[in-house]
Amino acid sequence: MNNKISLRAFAFFLLLVIFIILPFVNDSRTLLILLTQIFIFGILAMSYDILLGYTGIVSFGHAMFFGIGAYTTAVMLKQMDHTLLIFVLSIVIGMILAGFISFLVGLLTLRLKSHFFAMLTLAFSGLFLVLAEKWRSVTYGNDGFTFRAPDLFRDRMTFYFFVLASLVVIFLALYRFVNSPTGRILIAVRENEQRTKSLGFNTLHYKVIASVVAGIVASFAGSLYAVSLRFVNTSVMAMDITLDALLMTIIGGVGTLVGPLLGSAVIEYAQHALSGLARDYPIFERWIIFFGILYILAVIFFPKGIIGSLRLLFGKWRGRLKQRKTTGPLPQEKERFE
Amino acid sequence: MELLVNLIINGLATGMLIFLLAAGLTLIFGLMDVLNFAHGGLFVWGAYAGIFTYMLTESFIVGIIGAIVTGALLGLLTEKFIITPVYGNHIQQILITLGLMLVLQELIKVVFGPNGVAVKTPSYLAGSWEIGDVIIIKYRLFIIVIGFVIFGIFQYMLKRTKIGLIVRAGVQDKEMAQALGIHIKRVFLYVFMVGAALAALSGMLMAPYSGVIYAEMGMEYAILGFIVVVIGGMGSFSGSLLAAILVGLAGSFMAYYVPVLSLAVNMILMAIVLIFRPQGLFAMRKERTS
Repeated sequence: MNNKISLRAFAFFLLLVIFIILPFVNDSRTLLILLTQIFIFGILAMSYDILLGYTGIVSFGHAMFFGIGAYTTAVMLKQMDHTLLIFVLSIVIGMILAGFISFLVGLLTLRLKSHFFAMLTLAFSGLFLVLAEKWRSVTYGNDGFTFRAPDLFRDRMTFYFFVLASLVVIFLALYRFVNSPTGRILIAVRENEQRTKSLGFNTLHYKVIASVVAGIVASFAGSLYAVSLRFVNTSVMAMDITLDALLMTIIGGVGTLVGPLLGSAVIEYAQHALSGLARDYPIFERWIIFFGILYILAVIFFPKGIIGSLRLLFGKWRGRLKQRKTTGPLPQEKERFE
Repeated sequence: MELLVNLIINGLATGMLIFLLAAGLTLIFGLMDVLNFAHGGLFVWGAYAGIFTYMLTESFIVGIIGAIVTGALLGLLTEKFIITPVYGNHIQQILITLGLMLVLQELIKVVFGPNGVAVKTPSYLAGSWEIGDVIIIKYRLFIIVIGFVIFGIFQYMLKRTKIGLIVRAGVQDKEMAQALGIHIKRVFLYVFMVGAALAALSGMLMAPYSGVIYAEMGMEYAILGFIVVVIGGMGSFSGSLLAAILVGLAGSFMAYYVPVLSLAVNMILMAIVLIFRPQGLFAMRKERTS
């Protein structure tokens, strides 16, 4: 087992090195921006997976936290000063705000069954979208506003490295989180909430923790997103952001942290490629249809996503190799607790 | 006085449209335990298909029929291909119906173009009556009448006919109904189709009321429908009427007196209901404790 983990760590390390070297080898601006985007949405999708994949709750309001982060950073950089200190401060304030709001919303809604929760988060994020639209003196409504990024991030390359570093830190932090005792209880809630309750855990408490963690990380992703565009408008609060996160998580693989990252890469790249195709074939302007259909098919036939299915395949193969005893847990069940 | 009457009529008309949307949602939920997030997609397809037929044939009645047929057909396809495979798994249901919503909404843009379509009220429903110094817009009254008529028909069907008996039995305990020899899966399908048709009808009637239809309206009104279902109590048919009227009136009064709060008032209503009575104001008593 130890051997396997170190192998995996080695693979990650190799990937990281590739991403560090890449900008020096190929200094295409488009590629750099695309990768930055993939990393930012990867962070968002990972935070979403804490809810969907690890705790088993469906939130349709994740854009709300992303938007809080994006607006906090954008507004502070515009209204105060475009220095690095303000940027860091805005990230922290955004996270505190998002944490506080997700705490309140979670406390209010997580007692309810999954249907109600999904619906309520949808309604709450709708409320925030309206707020962003109406509070024109600060947000400039749907038109949005541009602002200046901190001087350090003027250079796309620096920002790329900053985002990459953030991604690594957040990945490791979330990895620790889901493997901590708290994370284990979240998985238990996903598997069987009633039983977890019977074992004496206050499941509401843990679900709120998951929601707060997800909200905080999403807000961080939002802050990065705002700086990457140097522009913000109400679209950061829109349903599309939640849908993107959902799609990335489902397609990449729920219940894993690598899955959402892979999903982010797939979706962002496909968006990029399809919007290029749209110039020749107008049908591709509606690329979201293809994702929608792909997503429906994935939910029916492929509910574990790319990573989950690969793992299942790999697990079976390894199982056959080792001639596992029949008394062990079924491959699927074991896989879930990985 | 005039203001009051107008606000009430306005609120009632909006409430009725939301009721038509929510009635399907609540019946489907009560019977099948499925919360259909694609309901807004059926709503907007009803609006577009209905208006398309209306413009083609220049008959509003035919347009309404077109909307209902489209809704029922889409309901049939949705139940068969989307709901059935994930039956019993709540999370997958939520995810998949949302995916369908996405597809339906984007398909609207492919089929009918991405821009909104302006809709005119048919001439015999346009204009208004003046009673004393009170001006009543005809179309709003028409919506209210239609809403109450449909409520009456459904209430009669549910309470007085055999079909209604089967549906009510299914809502109360589907395993028992099945044990008594009712083909519950088929009942599911029919109820889903009827719910989808109601959503489509609601969309069609909404079109002349708001004057313009656009692909995103499905989601906007679906949220109102969800709020109504929560306030009225999941699975309660008459509850959804009362809650829809409540939401409609609250919206119209707030829009006049406290416009800032008009969009938040429904949310606040829902939050209050959820805190003090999470099963909804008019929830039916269910034997099962799930």
